[in-house]
Amino acid sequence: MSIELGHFALILAFAIATVSAVGGFAFWRSGQRIALVLSQGAVLQFILIAVAFAALIQAFVTSDFSLLLAANNSHSLKPLIFKISGVWGNHEGSMVLWIFILVAFGAMVATFGRKLPHDLLALVLATQSLLTSAFAGFTIFTSNPFARLIPAPIEGNDLNPVLQDIGLAIHPPLLYAGYVGFSICFSFAIAALVSGRIDQAWARWVRPWTMLSWTFLTLGIAMGSYWAYYELGWGGWWFWDPVENASFMPWLAGTALLHSALVMEKRNALKIWTVFLSIITFSLSLLGTFLVRSGILTSVHTFASDPTRGLVILTLLALVIGGAFALFAFRAASLRQGGLFAPVSREGALILNNLFLATAVGAVLVGTLYPLLLDALAGTTISVGAPFFNLTFGTLMAPLLLVLPFGPLLAWKRADIVSAAQRLIGAAALAIFVTILISALSGIAVSLAPLGLLLGFWVAFGAIAELVDRSKLGRIPLAESGRRLIGLPRSAWSTAIAHFGIGITVLGIVATSAWETERVTTLNPGESTELSGYTIAFDRFDTVEGPNYLSDEGHFTVTAPDGGTRQMLADRRTYVASGMPTTEAAIETYGFSQLYLQLGEPLDNTHVVRVWHKPYITLIWLGAILMACAGFLSLTDRKLRVGAPRRAAKSAAQAAE
Amino acid sequence: MPRAGVKHSGPMLFWFIAIAVTAIACAALFYAAGPRAVNAAAPELDDANSHFRLVLAGIDADVAAGKLGEPEAVAARGELAREILRLKAEAGRMVAPPHGLGRMPLLAGLGGIAVLALGLYAMLGSPDLPSQPLAGRDDAMAQQIDLDAAIARIEAQLTANPDDLRGWTVIAPAYLEMGRYADAARAYRRMMELGEPTADLQTSLAEALMLGADGAGSAEAMDLLRAAAASDPNHVLSRLYIAADLTRAGDYPAAAAAWQAALALSKGDEPWLPAAQQGLAVAQNGGVAPANAQEAEMIGQMVGGLADRLAAEGGSIAEWTQLVRAYLVLDDTDSAQAAYDAAVASYPQAFDRGDLDTLALGAGLTLNGAQP
Repeated sequence: MSIELGHFALILAFAIATVSAVGGFAFWRSGQRIALVLSQGAVLQFILIAVAFAALIQAFVTSDFSLLLAANNSHSLKPLIFKISGVWGNHEGSMVLWIFILVAFGAMVATFGRKLPHDLLALVLATQSLLTSAFAGFTIFTSNPFARLIPAPIEGNDLNPVLQDIGLAIHPPLLYAGYVGFSICFSFAIAALVSGRIDQAWARWVRPWTMLSWTFLTLGIAMGSYWAYYELGWGGWWFWDPVENASFMPWLAGTALLHSALVMEKRNALKIWTVFLSIITFSLSLLGTFLVRSGILTSVHTFASDPTRGLVILTLLALVIGGAFALFAFRAASLRQGGLFAPVSREGALILNNLFLATAVGAVLVGTLYPLLLDALAGTTISVGAPFFNLTFGTLMAPLLLVLPFGPLLAWKRADIVSAAQRLIGAAALAIFVTILISALSGIAVSLAPLGLLLGFWVAFGAIAELVDRSKLGRIPLAESGRRLIGLPRSAWSTAIAHFGIGITVLGIVATSAWETERVTTLNPGESTELSGYTIAFDRFDTVEGPNYLSDEGHFTVTAPDGGTRQMLADRRTYVASGMPTTEAAIETYGFSQLYLQLGEPLDNTHVVRVWHKPYITLIWLGAILMACAGFLSLTDRKLRVGAPRRAAKSAAQAAE
Repeated sequence: MPRAGVKHSGPMLFWFIAIAVTAIACAALFYAAGPRAVNAAAPELDDANSHFRLVLAGIDADVAAGKLGEPEAVAARGELAREILRLKAEAGRMVAPPHGLGRMPLLAGLGGIAVLALGLYAMLGSPDLPSQPLAGRDDAMAQQIDLDAAIARIEAQLTANPDDLRGWTVIAPAYLEMGRYADAARAYRRMMELGEPTADLQTSLAEALMLGADGAGSAEAMDLLRAAAASDPNHVLSRLYIAADLTRAGDYPAAAAAWQAALALSKGDEPWLPAAQQGLAVAQNGGVAPANAQEAEMIGQMVGGLADRLAAEGGSIAEWTQLVRAYLVLDDTDSAQAAYDAAVASYPQAFDRGDLDTLALGAGLTLNGAQP
């Protein structure tokens, strides 16, 4: 009966969400009572969706194939972790996960938001309920995860083998936490537009939510990239695949939102732009989650390409996104603009950041959607590949990274660019020196690589420069500097760490693109090959039986340039239930670099072996992890800070607007 | 479905729980609005005030910690004061809407929730279906016929009673299905000994013999098939096998006649018809699939067109792979190598080339692009 109770819980949550949305928008002015009722409703939605989700997990874990979803996506022999992750490794189940995270965020607002103005809280929760109602309704009517299958089959169809991986257990929940977290910013934006009121309390609320979502999204994207890297067997870590772009666009917009919300929280400026970005970011999140479901995009992520479902999704997206923008168009003018500032100031730098990020979103959006539109309208199939994205995106990011270190060193309201530049001279000199040193040592030919390295080092050292500057390192006794460093607000630390992380990621990307080597060859056991100083010996070939697959295993011994040897095991699995093969690449990490080995298709009496040496590739994900750590650090710093304007020495009167 | 009807209290119990859950949820919503609903005066302004007190405390703390200079603190307090004044002015203008959330709309909402939830579930749900976890289905699984166990049981019976025609009749096709051709042949022989050697039986035995010999015919199989064809003038399967075996043996005139004999029995919509027509064509053409000169020319033109286009405009790696494969199929290794080299020039990264390298390696082309 647990399945049916789960089904009922989902439907009851849908009913509560629907009535909450209608009631919330009708009575949001009625003060405390409506806010309290909606808060209770948000908590109830969370509990009920949790019950529904638990019922699905229960059915998967006990291999209850009378649940159609479990029969289609599970198998009794599957390891427990993949039985659980299989719940969201399909369209219907991932919808429930999406809604679960949505209502979890709603319940968090309801719980922690008791001090918000009542009308604001009521509107936020009503919008949140509207989203829940829309997507729970979509799930119930077009993709019901609780559909039954009687009689229950003896065995299930198993999950797509590529998805039977620990990466899938973690990647979607993180990514969804990021996507869905932006719904809070969206709801706050809608609330601001409906009520026509927007103040610093609003910004104080929006920024941590943005930070939390952005942090999860960063981790989710990094995780997904690493998953693609080791599971898809090609050693690529970013493909500019439409689905990857779909997760990258909200990240870019979210990064912009993070910075503009900062301006708004501290300086009460950029209000309308922040509202606009909140809507854009969540719209892109929706696009990211659902465009892949509409059947328009075909990729590993396409779970279902049922045309009705696609049409419903598109209609839903059009209503939510179009509705929000229409509201924005009608109401934005009624919002009061905020504080003024000089072009050269922290605010100005953040606007520059926003401009570049927004343009980058535009470029990626065009590259992703243009082929789809062309295909849909003209029937012409073109593919916009990596060269387009590398060119446009790279061109936009380079200047952004170039000015990035200046931002944190500029004062609010008006700043002195010369003094900021002076404080960065050390970082610039160091970056140039290190780049020349590395380029000379590695003997790279004239190419873009040294420029990329320079940019990476500049961003990384520039991020540290702020800390060095604020701790007066070298200008006062070391112990005093240490005390100052520790005493710096955590927000200063998190800014430095996040920017340092970007530099690290850039370095990883540049190094691995410039110095990657590869070898494709045929090997028999006993033979060996060589790559970038590593000797790879093919020891033996075995066929073994896994829990739900058969595996061809290649055992290799790798001798590193320094003489150390390590064992590597690459295998090709054939899953019993589906007959589908997957490749499991062998990856060995040497310092920050990795050796990536893939056992290819068997040929007559021999084996295709692909080996890549990827220098400093782990820096790409380490940088992302640093950014996420910075996000969490910033979240612990909830102390309220105003961005105090720095006054020009003698014109105190100018502090007034 | 051994357990579906066991408990008729299932749906009753379900509805009891569902209604209880709905009632609890509605009560929770009702009381959330209830007793605590004191009418705070201008709560918005209160909120704002507490917000500003926090900001002020933050500025003082920063000054005390030396993170903020006194002039900056004065400027920040000044900005704050302006913000407070603005908000006060705004609050003064705002007319608080007198109508609160009344009891009627609340009750209507709760009623709506109950009706919507229970009604929708009644439409979509299956309250009478129990869960059927794998552990609970074990007994059901045991009832499933396990092919191995069943065969072992029949074999045991047949050892005890080798004259059981029904037993052999059941087991022979099962053997054939499992690939145990020798056992299948033994079973069919025993059936022919025990009963009439019908055309079907003879054909099945011949089939088991041929499958056991990896498709190669034998004199015994041929004799059986001829006997089957002779005993039943309308027996198609035996005639098809005869024709196929004659074709395989290279006796094309006889094969052509045999195919025609089989085709003569056709009613025009049998699934074997295309295969038989193809077989006839092959036999009439001396064992070679009729080369359609026009078709070959068309293939050549298509390959040439693709090659020209790729050379002129470039193309996707899939198109290059298609071209290399086409040359390999046409046995034109030199062109295949040239096409492969051109593809490598367009896609220098092995990562982009995907399966093309595997194709080339398998065909023995030179893989100069594989060098790092």
